[in-house]
This record gives sequence, structure tokens and C-alpha cells, in this order.
Amino acid sequence: MQIRFWGVRGSIPAPGPDTNRYGGNTSCVSVTTASGHQIIIDMGTGLMHLGNSLLPGDFGKGRGKAAILLSHSHWDHIQGLGFFAPVFIPGNQFTLWGHAKSPSMLEGILEGQMNPNFSPIYTLKNLGATFEVKAVVAGVPFEIGSVKITGRPNPHGSTTALAFRLEEGDRSFVYASDVGYPDDGPSAETLALYRDATVLLHDTTYTPEHQTRRRNRGFSSYEDAAGAAVAAGARHLVMFHYDQDYTDVDVDALRDACREALDRRGGGNIELTAAAEGLELEI
Amino acid sequence: MASLAFTPGDNLLRMKVRFWGVRGSIPVPGRQTNRYGGNTSCVEVRPRGRWPIIIDAGTGIRRLGKSLMDGAFSEGAGVAHVLISHTHWDHIQGLPFFAPFYTRGNRVHVFARQREDTHLQAVFASQTEDPYFPVPLSSLRADIQFNELVEGTCFQLDGAKITCTRLNHPWIAMAYRIDADGASVVYCSDTAPFSDVLLEHEFIKTPPTVGSPLPPTVAEKLATMREALVAMCRGADLLIYDTQFTPDEYRQRPHWGHSTPDDAIAVAREAGVAQLCLYHHAPMRTDEQQDAILVQYRDLCVRAGDPFEVLAAYEGLELVLGDDG
Repeated sequence: MQIRFWGVRGSIPAPGPDTNRYGGNTSCVSVTTASGHQIIIDMGTGLMHLGNSLLPGDFGKGRGKAAILLSHSHWDHIQGLGFFAPVFIPGNQFTLWGHAKSPSMLEGILEGQMNPNFSPIYTLKNLGATFEVKAVVAGVPFEIGSVKITGRPNPHGSTTALAFRLEEGDRSFVYASDVGYPDDGPSAETLALYRDATVLLHDTTYTPEHQTRRRNRGFSSYEDAAGAAVAAGARHLVMFHYDQDYTDVDVDALRDACREALDRRGGGNIELTAAAEGLELEI
Repeated sequence: MASLAFTPGDNLLRMKVRFWGVRGSIPVPGRQTNRYGGNTSCVEVRPRGRWPIIIDAGTGIRRLGKSLMDGAFSEGAGVAHVLISHTHWDHIQGLPFFAPFYTRGNRVHVFARQREDTHLQAVFASQTEDPYFPVPLSSLRADIQFNELVEGTCFQLDGAKITCTRLNHPWIAMAYRIDADGASVVYCSDTAPFSDVLLEHEFIKTPPTVGSPLPPTVAEKLATMREALVAMCRGADLLIYDTQFTPDEYRQRPHWGHSTPDDAIAVAREAGVAQLCLYHHAPMRTDEQQDAILVQYRDLCVRAGDPFEVLAAYEGLELVLGDDG
């Protein structure tokens, strides 16, 4: 699996010279499978740039096909859809997998953002490409090419956000953004989803100090992420979804503190990467 | 950056205009936009000694909100007026991140065009609650009031005179003029020129051919709309205008509801404004490209002998309008 980060920021895009190195775009990650399938996780503003990069290939000719995994429908995870160029090209095919009681409910949620009060697109029906919406059933795997995908809802403030586990052969990539655990930490089901992940991408929105003051918002500190990585036996932790006010220098410090937290918690052998726009990882 | 802490009674000499977000469509962080800025639409107008009048609530309003928290707003004694041109995402997506909302006692008055079918408050509320946003409007601590406007309305805000007229944009946008302290600014974004297509409530799937004749009733409606805009811009010290497109881009997408600098210059000439500010830059426009556009149109206006100055808005640009008070 080839992983690339297009947006790593939480809540709202954060432009400016202070965020040039890690990037200010909101959540979007692409995964290219060994079988050549394209998987997109979350549709923050990074999606626009992913879309533009796809245009020279099949997606520019209306022959592209991709699966989109949507963790939840908060703004910063869907605000790139209307600017994703391949979705306007007839012939391209997209299947979006997200969290809802039914596909039509999820489609209705996405429609609510496309309506003419908010978007000149008016409705998903104007997208051009085929856009199918499917509801993920917690814990029930589905397949995309050579990859088996399992989704499970994590607590996220007053709502939930799906975490996804992507497995290809003996390698696994877990995407766990936007999660705020209860005081006793991640549930057994959540840890089972993360178990022995080759790469665990985890929400590290805050420092522990900031997280304590904003606990109700449902995000993790790097301590929560380090704790989850050690408890699940992950081999590589990727930090993700930084607070919009954190500068590059702040994120550098967040990464150093996270390294220290891993070491202190007995995770000295866990590799650590702070996700940055443009960074690629091969699993 | 100088602090913009603001309390009524500050001895500001004249009306100030500050740009907090100048980008159209979608925020674009990255090295290519460091100088002009990647935040979406937000302009702060501060008449002398009065509360701020904010136009549009794109992502730029986040930093504006923070700057206000140095002053009366941090004590819950602030008042802000927010004029919304229209509710497309890039003009409202920063609103829930406006810090003064989270302090009890602050008062925020939001103004936007009246809808045919939905109360303005419902439009905003639907965006800021589950499943789109974790903090519903109803839970914000400030006192927030929504005011619906009809184009052509003229009203007073804390001593400033506000005028508005409608624009040519999908689902209809509103232009605003603010007169205070003997100075005036017009905010005209978003709008298509008034020549090739009438943009109202219908979704237009196929772009019309630029330059082909329009049915007389449509042409007349557009001409009336433009006349009202020119009349509202008459003699303004500053005209801020949607110039998202180059002429080539406009020919491909005349139905998207954006103008070129040529359209803005034509309105500026007819209305006799003192300064024209290019605004609502295209998301993929790099700083270097925007520099080139500015130079090109500055030269054009100099050669034509236009009396007004041409600027391109960038984050942090602050303009002082009117005569010394």
C-alpha cells in the first residue's frame, strides 16, 4: 500500500507561512493498493489537490475509479468534495463508504452541503461522475481490490467517527482520526481494530494541556495516541489532524513530546512520523 | 502584526479597512499563497471610534476574531456587525470559529439577504449543528441576532450608513456600501458581469456562449442590476470587486458567477471611484500570477489615464479612507 497525505490539519484550513511545512489543508489521505486500486480517506480541502494530481491519468479521461472512506461528516472532512475535479468528469466512478444508518441518510447529509444555499453545485446529481453511497456496518469487512477494509465507530465528542483498518496480506494501515476516548481509554473493540497495525494513523490534535481544557470536543492528545499505539502493539504511529492554531514549530514540539511519551510508555521500538502534506509512506 | 484591539472611543483618525481573507471558493494553504494569503473572504471595516463592521465570514474571520479578543470583546462587552454577501461556503465557513461568539455578553448582529423559503437563522443553524459541526449556534454564549435584508434597503449601523444592492451570482449575492466619517467603501463580491447570463435560482448546466445576444427581458434585467450597482458605487473611496477570473477563464465559465478585472475597471470608471481593489482571487492563482495580473491592469489603467488606483487585496492589507479627521 502506498499512502500519501494531502491534508493533515483539523477543524479548519490554516493557511499562512507558519504552516508551510506540515501544511494547512484539512484531512485527506490517499492509499494506492498493490492491485492498483485507489482509496481516498476523508474529503477535507486536501482532496482538491489530490484531484488535480489525478487528472493526467485515467481520471482526466473519465475512466477512473476510486473508493472514498468517510470517517464522519463534520465540515473539515467533507469540504473538499465540491472542488474534487474528477467527480465532475462523466465516466469516473466513485463509491463512498461512510457511517449512517442507511445509504440514503448519508446521501442526504452530503446533499445538505451541496444545496444551493451553500454551494453552486445545487445537488450531488450535478456531479457528472457516478457517485454511489454505501453505509459501513461496524465490524463487517468489505473488499476493494487486494485490500480488506473494516470500519468501527470511535467516540468523537457528542457523535462518533469511523476508524478504518485496511489489510493487504500481512500488512495493515489503520486510520483513526477524530477520536476522544473516555477516561478509561480505548475500548476493547477499538484496540482490536488497531491490533498490531503496521501503521497506525491517530488523531493528535492537541497537547495534553490543551486537550484537558477542550475535552468535550472529542479529540486526542499525543499522550492518548501514544497510549493507544503501545496498547495495540502498533509498529509505526503517524500523528495527524493538528489543531489549526499550531504552527510548524509547535508541531515539531508535539512530535518530540510524542516520541518521549512512546518511550516512557514502553513503546521505544514504535516508529513515529508526524504526517505532513506531500509525505508518502509505503507499507 | 500590530494589534487591532478595538474599543469605541479609540482615537482613530479615519475609517480603516483591513483584509483578513481574500481568496474565493476554497481556502488554499501553501507556499504559493503565502503573500496574498489562502483564507477565504473576510473584510473588516472600522469607522472611527465605532464597532467593527465585518463583511463576509470566510476562514479569514478566525484571525479577525482573535484580534478582537484583546479588547472589549474579551470582557463580553463587544458589538460586531457582520454583513454576509451570500451563504456559499467560502463566505460563511469561518463563522463558528469567530472567538467573540464564545464570550457571554458580546452581541453579534448578522445581516444577509432574505430568502424566499427559509429563515436566515435556519440557513446558518443547519450548517453549524450535527452532523456538520460540533458546536450548534444555540450553544454559543454571545447574543446573536439575524437580520434579513431586501436589496435596495438603506439602514444605519452604529452611525454608519449601509446600502445594499443585488448581484449576478447563483442563488443571488448582495453588494454593500458603507458610508461613515465622510468615507465610503463598496464590497462587490461575488458577481458575474451583467452581459452573458442572468444568475438567479436556476442551476445552469451548460455554459452560455459569451457575447451571444440575450432575450430582451433578460438583458434589461441585467442592465438594471448593473445600473443599480454603478449608482451605489458612485464616488466611493474604495471599491472591492470580485475579479476571480482572467478573461479566458471567464469565457469557459460565464455561469459560475465571477468577474474579470476588466469588468471591475468598467464599473470603477463609470462610478468614479478613487481606488479599485481586486478581490476574491482564484484558489489556484499563485502569488506570482496574481502579481502579474495586478501589474497588467495597473499599466492598463495608467495608459488609459484612469484617475483611480488599482490594488490587489492581500491578507493584512490595511487601507485608511477619507480625509484626515
